[in-house]
Amino acid sequence: MSHWIARAPSLLRDCRRRARRHPRLALAALLVIAAALAAWRLTQPGAPFGPQDSTWRRVQINGDLYVGLDPSYPPFAEWTPEQIVGIEADLAREIGRRLGVETHILIMGYDSLYDALYTGNVDMLIAGLHPDSTLTHWVYYSQPYFDAGQVLVSPREEPVSDMRALDGKSVAVEVASSGDAAARRWARRLRALTIERHLLPQDAMRAVEEGQAAAALVDTVSARLYLPAHPRLVMAAETTVAEPYVIAMRRGDFRLTAHVERALKAIKADGALDEIIAHWLSG
Amino acid sequence: MMRLTRPVQRKALAHLLRVSGLLFVVGALATLRPAPPRVVMGPPHTVQTVNPTVCVHTRLTDEVEEWKIQRTLQMVREMGAATIVEFFPWPYAERERGSYDWAHADRIIQHAENQGLTVIARLGLVPAWARPPVHEKVTTLTYLPADHFDDFARYVGAFVARYGDRIGGVIIWNEPNLSYEWGDRSPDPAAYTELLRLSYQAAHAVNPNIVVLGGALAPTNEPEGSGSGMNEVRFLERMYEAGAAPYFDALAAHTYGFTHAPADPPDPQTINFRRVELLRAVMVRYGDGAKPITITESGWSDDPRWTRAVRPGQRIAYTLAALDMATAWPWADHLCLWQFRQPSDFHNRRDAYYALVSSDFFAKPIYEAVQAYARGWENPYAP
Repeated sequence: MSHWIARAPSLLRDCRRRARRHPRLALAALLVIAAALAAWRLTQPGAPFGPQDSTWRRVQINGDLYVGLDPSYPPFAEWTPEQIVGIEADLAREIGRRLGVETHILIMGYDSLYDALYTGNVDMLIAGLHPDSTLTHWVYYSQPYFDAGQVLVSPREEPVSDMRALDGKSVAVEVASSGDAAARRWARRLRALTIERHLLPQDAMRAVEEGQAAAALVDTVSARLYLPAHPRLVMAAETTVAEPYVIAMRRGDFRLTAHVERALKAIKADGALDEIIAHWLSG
Repeated sequence: MMRLTRPVQRKALAHLLRVSGLLFVVGALATLRPAPPRVVMGPPHTVQTVNPTVCVHTRLTDEVEEWKIQRTLQMVREMGAATIVEFFPWPYAERERGSYDWAHADRIIQHAENQGLTVIARLGLVPAWARPPVHEKVTTLTYLPADHFDDFARYVGAFVARYGDRIGGVIIWNEPNLSYEWGDRSPDPAAYTELLRLSYQAAHAVNPNIVVLGGALAPTNEPEGSGSGMNEVRFLERMYEAGAAPYFDALAAHTYGFTHAPADPPDPQTINFRRVELLRAVMVRYGDGAKPITITESGWSDDPRWTRAVRPGQRIAYTLAALDMATAWPWADHLCLWQFRQPSDFHNRRDAYYALVSSDFFAKPIYEAVQAYARGWENPYAP
């Protein structure tokens, strides 16, 4: 590469010399390059000759947004006799409100979600999905709306926000959980870390309250449901093992994805998302 | 019109040739694919286990790549399970009437034998030629018309003739007490008994020592006459009433715990692990108590987003306790965990969380716990 950089001035001089010698050939080459650039630009998504986002066009004309949801996962989504409720149902309706359209929630089994998105039965999925690298050729994943990963819970007087702070101490985990696996990895990295295994995440957090462990590494949902009734404990601001929940849309719906991303960003910024989550995970 | 001088033409031609050559090489490279992994059978193995009750239901039916079949069975052997249940669909073997293709079955049986595993073969599904033409009636793969029962029995006979001395038994059909498994029709214990009779006779005609397992009944509370299924305890009673007793050597049963602990007592209104004792009671009542029950499907799910699942630690504790109980039951010979691994976790989340190993062969904690149990090691996940 450095060879070519060093030779660049002489190559430019050579090009200029050849262009002076063959002006019509140089002009033709420039025209071809300009035409190629124009063709590339005009066939980009949204450009006059490029692919159009018919989904966004339909959403605007009909004023509706179809969201696929698996209602078997309370408190994220649950099917009550009256309606579909939960964090994901509320988020779907809030996104529709911000886009100025009516949200229609279509319920389906988890294994049908991507099929419904692929076949166009729904415009997006809000169903506790993680980004799947094998699907990104056609699925667009939004920024996360929730992190359900493993989080440290510790006494309010001696808060622990990082696994490194547990060197020489003990951590309580739910046996065989991803928190257990993470703690085992950290045990190899730290000089000394004692792992206390408990059957349930609640048992692990109780062990911290009773002074048997310096912190508990448990899933965020369990922690958020447990803490309101146990004010002596506090949850770290960041998860130790991330497990982001994201919205899935078709990659070809580039205008819809852009508008949903903007709406989600606004919902996060003005605290609406925190309110929704707090409402359902207040214990 | 622009005219090019001869040297320029020659240079342009040379450039064109170089670019064409480069494109050809790139194209050729793009079509190259790595050779499939070469599978070598290797020396025969034996299973190291302290508990022969431990068994697992594998899912090799749709596994195309041979190295994955081998790897699956290696991991089963390393886990300490000496027996597997595997599905051998009739349409795979007899795509055309009277013409058998055993390639897939041969591969599985050979690899299982090489790992020292005993296979209990589950036989079922229906080829297109044995079902009504689609313009007459739309049917599912589990729809077997009564006038083709003898064809299925012929398949059972052919399977037993080929593998009878190398396997632990054959299961006749799967969950006939569910409409879904009985061609989307109301379950029919008398019709199933007839299928069992023909299959039993065909199997024993070619190999008198073969163990024929009947039933493979699913736990359900659906009452008789339901469009979805029939309570398995009632279904078994109806089987006996239809004269099924002489036509099976062991009863295959499915028993799931869902959110219940394994020690929860059997209850006709509740689907829990010990519900299998209700089936045992029916067998004793009909004078068939000498026959064993093989639990060919069982287990707990730790799917974090299923209300009928348990936490991972509970799953381990419940599974090991269930294995203890099954070992203590004199009438139960195996407890086969549903399921070891499936080819793709992506398309079936429910089963993915029943699996002991992920589709990319990651051994879950439940695998390590069952392995420790089966091989007499200390449980690495004891709370």
